Amino acid sequence: MRSGSALLAGGIAVVWGVVYLVTQVVVDPPLGVGTTVVAGVAVTLAVVLGYPSALRGPRSATVLRRGPEPRRGGARGLVAGGRAMPLRSGLTADAARRTADLLRPLLRGDAVAITDTERILAFVGPGDDHHRAGRPVRASVTLKAITTGRSATSRSTADLGCGEPDCPLAGAVAAPLVVENRVVGALVVLRTGPEPAERGQVEDMAGILSLHLELAEADRERELAADARLHALRAQINPHFLFNVLNTIASKSRTDPEEARALLLRLSDFFRYAVRQDGQLAEFAQEYFFVRTYLTLEQARFGDRLRVRYDIDPQVLTAHVPVLTIQPLVENAVKHGLADKVDGGTVTLRARVDPLTRTTSIRVSDDGVGMSPEVLEELDGPHLTASQDGGRRARAAGAAGHAPADGNDATADEAGDEAVDDAVDRPSEGAGTVRGGRGGPHPHTGVGLRNISQRLTALFGSRFSLDVRSTPDEGTVIDLRVPLR
Amino acid sequence: MDDDALRLDVDEHDTPAEVDAAFRTLRRVAVWHFVLFLAAVLGVPALSLTLGWWSGARIDGGMSPGFAMAAFGLYVFFLAVGLAAATLSSAVEARMLGGAHEEAGDDDGEDAP
Amino acid sequence: MTPAGTTALVVLVTTLVLVAWLVRPRGASTVDFYLAGRRVGVATNALAICGDYFSAASFLGVAAAVYVSGLDGVWYAVGFAAGFVPVLLFVAAPLRRFGEFSIPDFLGRRLGSERVRLVSVGVVQVVILSYLIPQAVGSGITWQLLVGRGLPGLDPYGTGVLLSTTFVAALVAFGGMRGTTWTQAVQFLVLLSALVWLALAVVGSGFRYTEAVSDLSATPLANPVPGADGWELRVETDQIDPGAAAAFGEPGAAYGPLAQFALILTLVMGTAGLPHVMNRYFTSPTGTAARMTTVWVLGLAGLFYALAVMLGTAARQKIAEAAGEHAWLQGLTTDGVLRVPEHALPVLGRLYGGDVGLAVIAAGALVAVMSTIAGLLLAAAASWGHDVYERHINPRATQRQAVWAGRASTAVVALTAAGMAVVLQPDHLAPSVPSIVAAMVTWAFAIAGSALTPVFVLTIWWRGTTAAGAVAGMLTGGVTSIGMFVLGLLPVGPGLGEMLMTPTLVAAPLAAVVCVLVSRVTRPPSDVESQWLVLHGTAADRQAERLARLTISSLGKGRHGRRKGD
Repeated sequence: MRSGSALLAGGIAVVWGVVYLVTQVVVDPPLGVGTTVVAGVAVTLAVVLGYPSALRGPRSATVLRRGPEPRRGGARGLVAGGRAMPLRSGLTADAARRTADLLRPLLRGDAVAITDTERILAFVGPGDDHHRAGRPVRASVTLKAITTGRSATSRSTADLGCGEPDCPLAGAVAAPLVVENRVVGALVVLRTGPEPAERGQVEDMAGILSLHLELAEADRERELAADARLHALRAQINPHFLFNVLNTIASKSRTDPEEARALLLRLSDFFRYAVRQDGQLAEFAQEYFFVRTYLTLEQARFGDRLRVRYDIDPQVLTAHVPVLTIQPLVENAVKHGLADKVDGGTVTLRARVDPLTRTTSIRVSDDGVGMSPEVLEELDGPHLTASQDGGRRARAAGAAGHAPADGNDATADEAGDEAVDDAVDRPSEGAGTVRGGRGGPHPHTGVGLRNISQRLTALFGSRFSLDVRSTPDEGTVIDLRVPLR
Repeated sequence: MDDDALRLDVDEHDTPAEVDAAFRTLRRVAVWHFVLFLAAVLGVPALSLTLGWWSGARIDGGMSPGFAMAAFGLYVFFLAVGLAAATLSSAVEARMLGGAHEEAGDDDGEDAP
Repeated sequence: MTPAGTTALVVLVTTLVLVAWLVRPRGASTVDFYLAGRRVGVATNALAICGDYFSAASFLGVAAAVYVSGLDGVWYAVGFAAGFVPVLLFVAAPLRRFGEFSIPDFLGRRLGSERVRLVSVGVVQVVILSYLIPQAVGSGITWQLLVGRGLPGLDPYGTGVLLSTTFVAALVAFGGMRGTTWTQAVQFLVLLSALVWLALAVVGSGFRYTEAVSDLSATPLANPVPGADGWELRVETDQIDPGAAAAFGEPGAAYGPLAQFALILTLVMGTAGLPHVMNRYFTSPTGTAARMTTVWVLGLAGLFYALAVMLGTAARQKIAEAAGEHAWLQGLTTDGVLRVPEHALPVLGRLYGGDVGLAVIAAGALVAVMSTIAGLLLAAAASWGHDVYERHINPRATQRQAVWAGRASTAVVALTAAGMAVVLQPDHLAPSVPSIVAAMVTWAFAIAGSALTPVFVLTIWWRGTTAAGAVAGMLTGGVTSIGMFVLGLLPVGPGLGEMLMTPTLVAAPLAAVVCVLVSRVTRPPSDVESQWLVLHGTAADRQAERLARLTISSLGKGRHGRRKGD
């Protein structure tokens, strides 16, 4: 938000400074005040008009560095800040082992174990020959702590449940690890002597660990939700798409081997890109590469029936957009808008940047079959407004479906789980209808859109908008606006 | 890696839609720069016709702003506009056309040392 | 002729012949002859373009125009330098990517029409000829001043014209483009060093640029005109404010309000249609390189013209100061003002460097003239030999025959231009324009900018352009601009005359409109989409770059392996 406005403000300040210098300081006699102000205003207007224009854009020719995109946002900072505590990155076996190593001298226990609700994640100290990490939790004292959610103490080897007669351990204190009132595991401190460790100390330590786990969970939940949807999107690369493309290539290899080879390369580019995307954001130019690769493959299949038009502003090329977001929108337009239309149609991708409001806007439109009002109504939700196109047709019907798009972040994460399921299901659902089982608008159109909207919610909160406008038989327009990064 | 072998075998290839997109973006770049250029190149004589100060005032006790502009300012401006347009157009082309082989090149680069 | 002058000329001529001989093309295929195999670096190519472009008009003419009319002369410098911005924006990269030999070739293939090719050959020849004449005039003037003696049966001016054109024609015919690419670059460096040396000498002697402009503007601008009893000074009237006297640092000494814009636009639009400059773009390795070449050219042109303007100003001040002290100046000046403004730089050179200085500047001028003539003759040879002879006169021509056709046309065009330059001696033309050389070059710019540039830009950026539209546009632009010249030579009144001499302001929009209208009612070529791929796609560029990278890396690996072996 700041950098773009600051640049413009700085630019205007410099302009006025230069105007002042040129007209008043170095020149004799100075220019009249009125004329100077007019000159300054004229130059300022030119700068403001030029700022969002095609005069700006990428300057460096080095292209498409496609390494892992560094993750953005606050989550990463918090994780990095707590690196000293291994559990800060979550309750994993490796983290648990390092934590146990760390805690053993602190708690003056002879052995320290960390478990989740079912298995021992780490065991450090005497007895680790048979109390192995990865084994199920059998010690009754630990099970008690896990089931009751309160710490428990034991003074007998029998309670440790190992059944080894010569186990050196004689007593234990187990304290539960709690995240959001849910027991996720236990910290167990064991002694070889009969006197168990101090219970309060173990409880305090378990509390600290719980806090770290809770923080890790909060970080991860955001990332996981976004990642999961990303994985879902990746998985969504439809087997039927691959099948169709390979079919096209096979038939072209007889008629036009050169083009077939070019298509094969495009296909490999397509998958390479889809699989290699590590981050959440990528330069628009890379996403654009992905989209045109996809559309080239589809065009090879549909021939003249699929016409493509890109309308791209130079400034948008270096803007960062969420990865694998635009291609599904385009795929949606091809599959549900045009595939069913006999004489085909045009898909238009329009990308713009408004550096003043710091918005990247992307519009995918088609002149295909459109969506029925029912589908649109179903789609309409907190972060996804869907309406009938009010532009050309009477507005009456469309307005009914409009819900206020105010942010409702609390529901986003709950909705996330559904979205993942939906997306995973999608290929099989799509399978039956790719070839137009019915002539009309597709009922599952919305699933991909909702999935994208939820992923965007995880990334941007309520600072984006996704609008769908559609008129049956006239086409669909999807408008996506995300913050300029 | 047989992917790369294939890549060597196939000539570079653009599709009409991609070229059309790059073409229209470049046209927008060129037209905007041309407007800027025309404004400057016609603005300097226009100012000398309309604004007495432009040719009457003295910079550093000598040249008028108009003369200074015509004697060196404009050439610097032409170079700046030209450089801006050339770098922008080339960068736009690099991002909007082709794009797969750069990565292959990078891979080669990584293998080399 | 002074001994120093002789020495300078001999050294110069020997160097050029040596360079042309050393880098002459080994094989004689047409591609080699015309295009040097397209392996010319960005900087070299930029220097060569400058060598082609900076002609007598730039070297002698700009300084002369500034000398005579102050700020109105500076517009020549601005216009000449600005011309490459539209080239960069609209022409350079697509032109290179389309990859044809010449402008007629480009238009012919793009529009799929032989008629377009032939019409554009005609327009190109007119442009080349009208560009060649002022170059020959420039060399005549320089010879006159430097040598002052002619061959038996010829006056000094005619001798200069004939010798320089013949010399360059021979150089082009037997050196080929490769020879000229390098010699062009070398020649431009010679030219630039001459200018830089003079600028340093002038500044070193205590010349204060800003004060000079101010001092010169203080008194009305007066120039010598041949009167009833010899030369006399006449105060220039302000064309913008009739009744007032014109001043050096203010507009109006030569051009009225509208004519100022007409002049600048004529020069700005003209460059993109100059065949010898555009032909250079076909020798860039890629479209992107063609663009960067133009950026270099813009930088070099800026430096060159800034210096030329400064020297024109310096000449106005210094020659007036020195006129009383040197006897040889008396014959050239009236009350301290040169009668032939093109003498400004050579005289300045003699003032600061004696005879050697004069020879250096004269050599620079001759180099400027010769490099431009070489470029023009080559463009003429390319369009005659390649577009007309190989395609229409003798389609089964062998490589050898085609090259010889090119050589023959070189000779014919050169002789025609020389003949016309002798006829059009500057003394015969009324001194109605700031500098006769600069003004004559403006005509070439006007025809190119009116007839070629609009059609050229439309064929590159508008799919709808048709062959009929292009022909109509070129003819409209050409006829309108030439018609306006003819009108302008008649006494039509002050202000309007200059305006008619720079017709692009009217002719270019007219040509564009006609081209668009005719194209609208005719069918564009059916293969326009596949041509678009070549014209605006970068596939071929990327392929070339990839091959270059592969070659370099395999070379590198080879060297690496050898080092390991050691």
